[in-house]
Amino acid sequence: MGSRINTKEAVKKAGIKSFFYSTFIRKGECGQFMNSGKSKSFIEWIKSGKVNQRLVIITFMLVPLTLLIVFTYIPFGKMIGFSFYDMKYIGDREFVGMQNYIEVFTRKDCFSALKLSLYYIVASFFQLGLALYFATILSAKTKGGGVFKGFMFFPYLVCGIAVGFIFKFFYTRGFVLDTVLQWCGFNLEQLPYWLKDTSINNISVAATSIWRYMGQNMVLFIGAIMSVDSTLYEAASIDGANGWQRFRYIIVPSIKTIIVLNMILSITGSLSVFEPPYVITGGNFGTGTYFVIMNKLAHESQKVGLASAMAIILLVMIIIVTAIQKFIERYYFGVGDQEAIRTIRKQKKLLKKEQEGGR
Amino acid sequence: MKKATLKKAFTVTLSAAMVLSLAACGNSKKEKPEKEVMDVTIDQIKLGEDYTDLKADLKFLTHKTDVVDTTFKQYIEEFQKLYPNINIEYEGITDYANDITTRLTTGDWGDICMIPTTVDKDELGNYFTKLGDKKALSDIYEGKFLEAYSYEGTSYGIPSMANVQGVVYNKAVFEKAGIKDVPKTPEEFLGALQKIKDNTDAIPLYTNFAAGWTMTAWDAYIDGGATGDPDFAYEGLTKGENPFSDRGDGTGPYAVYDTLYEAVKQGLTEEDPTTTDWEGSKGMMNKGEIGCMALGSWSITQIQQAGENADDIGYMTFPITVEGKQYASAGGDYNYGINCNSSKDNQIAAMCYIKWLVEKSGFAQSEGGLSAVIGDEYPEALSALDGIELVVNNPAPDEDANLFNDVNNDSELGINVSGAIPTEIIEEATGGTKTMDDLVNEWNERWTTAQEANGITH
Repeated sequence: MGSRINTKEAVKKAGIKSFFYSTFIRKGECGQFMNSGKSKSFIEWIKSGKVNQRLVIITFMLVPLTLLIVFTYIPFGKMIGFSFYDMKYIGDREFVGMQNYIEVFTRKDCFSALKLSLYYIVASFFQLGLALYFATILSAKTKGGGVFKGFMFFPYLVCGIAVGFIFKFFYTRGFVLDTVLQWCGFNLEQLPYWLKDTSINNISVAATSIWRYMGQNMVLFIGAIMSVDSTLYEAASIDGANGWQRFRYIIVPSIKTIIVLNMILSITGSLSVFEPPYVITGGNFGTGTYFVIMNKLAHESQKVGLASAMAIILLVMIIIVTAIQKFIERYYFGVGDQEAIRTIRKQKKLLKKEQEGGR
Repeated sequence: MKKATLKKAFTVTLSAAMVLSLAACGNSKKEKPEKEVMDVTIDQIKLGEDYTDLKADLKFLTHKTDVVDTTFKQYIEEFQKLYPNINIEYEGITDYANDITTRLTTGDWGDICMIPTTVDKDELGNYFTKLGDKKALSDIYEGKFLEAYSYEGTSYGIPSMANVQGVVYNKAVFEKAGIKDVPKTPEEFLGALQKIKDNTDAIPLYTNFAAGWTMTAWDAYIDGGATGDPDFAYEGLTKGENPFSDRGDGTGPYAVYDTLYEAVKQGLTEEDPTTTDWEGSKGMMNKGEIGCMALGSWSITQIQQAGENADDIGYMTFPITVEGKQYASAGGDYNYGINCNSSKDNQIAAMCYIKWLVEKSGFAQSEGGLSAVIGDEYPEALSALDGIELVVNNPAPDEDANLFNDVNNDSELGINVSGAIPTEIIEEATGGTKTMDDLVNEWNERWTTAQEANGITH
């Protein structure tokens, strides 16, 4: 018993608070000390396995958690507060309750801007399709595979603003895109104004995000494909499976978690597109997405409260969309090793039928 | 079991810590640092005589990113000949108008900045040092230009220079197109643009649409310059009924905006406004590839320096004639302001530097602007405007000092802030369906709603 008191005191002296004491000492270490019968020094205590392990966990988590709290959660909390005020950046604020939220729903421009997200959602499907295609090809042994991977991943490393400027010149009349198309036999007169023509400018802008994010998706897919057990391929080739069958029955089922994850990221990303339209067109000529309009309200019209409310409504929408996606995923595809709910039900039905038939 | 409880304890503590940190943040409302009481005003300081042994390190936030490492360095060197112990560090901000507002709210941003338009007049005293009584300062500086950042008789800012709002044009292109006299009415202007289109390869009017901020030049014409009335900004625009309607005599906001609408509609501007390039446009204008651009007088020197044909660049007023007379609105550019939370020494040092910048540096002249100092000469670039009356908008009375900003923000028309109106004009005139009348009705409606929300009834 004496040793226990000693350790208690030692810990207190070292200035460690009761949280540590209760988690580290009461739960495991005391017994050890008591059994050994000798009082260990603080250094030894702190070096002992479990304490050490937890200290490592805490110290490692401290930095990212602090950053997360300081730069994400506190500003977010503040923003929730802002959304209930009629306020500018500088000057008095007035509490208006739900007024800002009501205004977001009654304004025409806020929700009609969300329609533009459809362009980006469609683009994200193209993006995932392309990424999967290249990932499948490049995960097999290809000549110069590393170079291709590098080239395709490279756009993701370029800052979004720079990408915007690149494409601004890319789409300028008579510049890169037009020149290339002219080599292919088009006349300049036949070509549209890529950013001015309201029937295609959203497609032009959405295409830039395919260019930027395709490589990143591809790398994730390659990683997942690499982790597929290679004996499966061998078995498949013995069974005489061709390339498509291998893709359909081995690769896709094995990496479905990553596919779904990428889909969720792409679709939530599509709802909150900001950089491409902001930099390339400034949101003009009908390319102003929800975020661009939010930015305009906050910075040009100084309606900070309204813009905060818009941000929170978008957050809620993204949560809902993600939840729906998650549900669909579980129902049709299953998560990880878990079978899809639909297949489980089918199996149950089948089982029932068999039992009934057996009777 | 043990593991589970441990985990739980850990989660609970963590979340508690998170909540606490949030609460702590909420509770510890930042006490505003005690303001130094300043009894020094800028008019009392004698440059080179007072405070010459003052020691201070100043931080200066500026929008002039292009000259931070060149002209401003020379300024510091010359200033330090008088005040050797005052160090100044410039920080150039590219997206100045947006960034500075956010940084101001922290109170700890530096010592001198260019006051952004987003600060309401009655808030000036909370952020900036009193530079002096407006009356006393008016003996040295043009009182008209001080109005913008004075509140209840106290001045908080001094303009780095003043601009005239006109149209910068290429004389050689105009000559080649066969235009003898500078156009004086919207019709003549559109006719001249048509001539440029027919007779030369130049783009008659380059909108610089893509840059965004360039659009506000059109907003700057609508008050004093388009009416000749220094009270129009307050009486006609802020408080007036349906200010955007056609006045029928080719003046006022309608005439300005309609000129832009027609120019775009008739194909007298560049083909694709979405891909215009501001930096490139200066060189194009200098080379004679552009006929004219709607920009304040600050742009003249930049365009002259962008190529070899500096002599071709001219400046004219916006082509509106009110009862046989032409006016040009003029007003202060960005004003220098001093952080009222800085230490007293820093504030005094900052005052010395601002005084030196305004009176001795020659900054305004080198930028092609008017100096705020009474008696300073017109810069050469503006000599063509001799004989044209400059109109400086009269300020709103103190009780309505924020009224324009409030109506402007509520209506989201962003006059002089975002250029939302000219932007919309170009969009609709390029490929849209709305006519000028539709647009005018829409703006009037939004303006009136915003006016009503701020207690203005007709």
